[in-house]
Amino acid sequence: MPEPTTATILGAWVAAGLTLFIYSFLYKDNPLFKLGEHLYVGISVGYSVVLAWHTVFLRLLWEPLRKSVSEAPTLLESYILLIPAILGFLMLVRFIPRIAWLSRIAFAFVVGFGSGVAIPRTVSALILKQIEDTVNPLITMGANGLSMGLDLASPQSGVNTIILLVGVVSVLFYFFFSVEHTGPGMVTARMGVYFVMIAFGAAFGYTVMSRMSLLIGRFSDLIKFSGAEYGYATLVLLAVTVLTLIGWEALVRQERQGV
Amino acid sequence: MKEFARRMVGIDRRIIFLLIAAAVLLPLVKPFGLPIKVSPEVKAVYDYIEALPERSVLFLSFDFDPSSKPELEPQAVALLRHAFRKNLRVIGMTHWLTGTGLADGVFSKVAAEMGKERHKDYVFLGWSPGGGSLIIAMGQDLYKAFPSDYTKTPTRGMPVLDGVQNLRDVNYLVSLAAGGAGIEMWYVFGKDKYRFEMAGGSTGVIAPGLYPFLRSGQINGLIGGLQGAAEYETLITQKGTATAGMDAQSAAHFVIIVLVLLCNVFYFMLRGEKGRPN
Repeated sequence: MPEPTTATILGAWVAAGLTLFIYSFLYKDNPLFKLGEHLYVGISVGYSVVLAWHTVFLRLLWEPLRKSVSEAPTLLESYILLIPAILGFLMLVRFIPRIAWLSRIAFAFVVGFGSGVAIPRTVSALILKQIEDTVNPLITMGANGLSMGLDLASPQSGVNTIILLVGVVSVLFYFFFSVEHTGPGMVTARMGVYFVMIAFGAAFGYTVMSRMSLLIGRFSDLIKFSGAEYGYATLVLLAVTVLTLIGWEALVRQERQGV
Repeated sequence: MKEFARRMVGIDRRIIFLLIAAAVLLPLVKPFGLPIKVSPEVKAVYDYIEALPERSVLFLSFDFDPSSKPELEPQAVALLRHAFRKNLRVIGMTHWLTGTGLADGVFSKVAAEMGKERHKDYVFLGWSPGGGSLIIAMGQDLYKAFPSDYTKTPTRGMPVLDGVQNLRDVNYLVSLAAGGAGIEMWYVFGKDKYRFEMAGGSTGVIAPGLYPFLRSGQINGLIGGLQGAAEYETLITQKGTATAGMDAQSAAHFVIIVLVLLCNVFYFMLRGEKGRPN
């Protein structure tokens, strides 16, 4: 492995320090956590603004507009990019109450265009395609004639098609409040609740896995940065964090007793 | 016994944090090498890429930012290693503004490791606004949507994009997503309209919501979370950070399961006591 550069070592110290500062919240809310939190928010916003300025304003608007105008100043289409530029500018006039109404033109364009593009595509891809998959044939014609798959591990098997159909219908019925859930209706609604609970369980399990992965990611970096090649960054900063928390706790107690 | 249960239910949550920290830290320091079983949905992605002829076009969309790095970066690294090993051309981009630097870093790192050249073997287009509209624009003309790449080099005439005019010329697309602006969006505005094959790689949080797409064939494979990344690393026989983290993942899950079970036992022991729910 190549020796880390000065920039990498500096980055390791910043990363290890901020990770420890953020995790110090697990003890309780404290100034180190606040420092880490504010830096995170500030840097994220700053990074986004700079990238958006370079990508959107300079690369997509200013440079092509300047090029087209300098190449053919008399052609009307050289100025076509002024239309989105004006619409974008109109969004900003929301901050001037007297002419804030002008921003509605830009928003109307965004909503109209967005809905027009999204609605047909979304209905086709997310609703119709999913309905189509809910009503798969139970019996299929194969090389050995008609058969119904009973393999629970195969998503396309007949038995899974039945489970899917029962699940969809019962969950939909559970959320259908125009009919009282009594008798067979209660059985169906209760079944829907079980399906919903299984879905929540799966989602929760995956969420736990996801959160643990983030923890593993940070711990892996902390272990890496605790080596001699990074100047024992993690160990030094862990000691600094713990000592700062002890000092801060003592200060808070002293203040409390003083009151 | 009830007194013990009462004390346990009211335990300081920081003790639980320490338990989880220990469960994650110990296997990372001293791994015990649990086996990794490859799921059919991850194998499907591997098989599709494996079957692509040389110099085919793989489109990799980095739809995440540093907050999902531990889960999705290992997936990206494994996919890139596989693609470069197969000598595929790779086009990358991101829909997440704050993920731009991270994505370019992953490309540069893996390309250097595999001896691949920017603009010849791969290109990272960077970020552009628009989401779904951008995908539609790329489906019509890739060069109008991205006149230049992340390094400000004009895209037209790049050897890596030879024969690629729009999304219809892409052989396979994988979106590595941490949220809505990712797999779903690529399907809705991309695959459904321009008819290319695609798969997804996702964080664990959004993976359950993507299984209906997998079942219906809207995506042909799914790499879910760190587990999926570890499975892909197993398939390409090149272990990385995901495989290293799987022991810690299993140990943490074991501790959580034990804690959930114990909590339920204590809850039922104290059921009916004054001030506690029945």
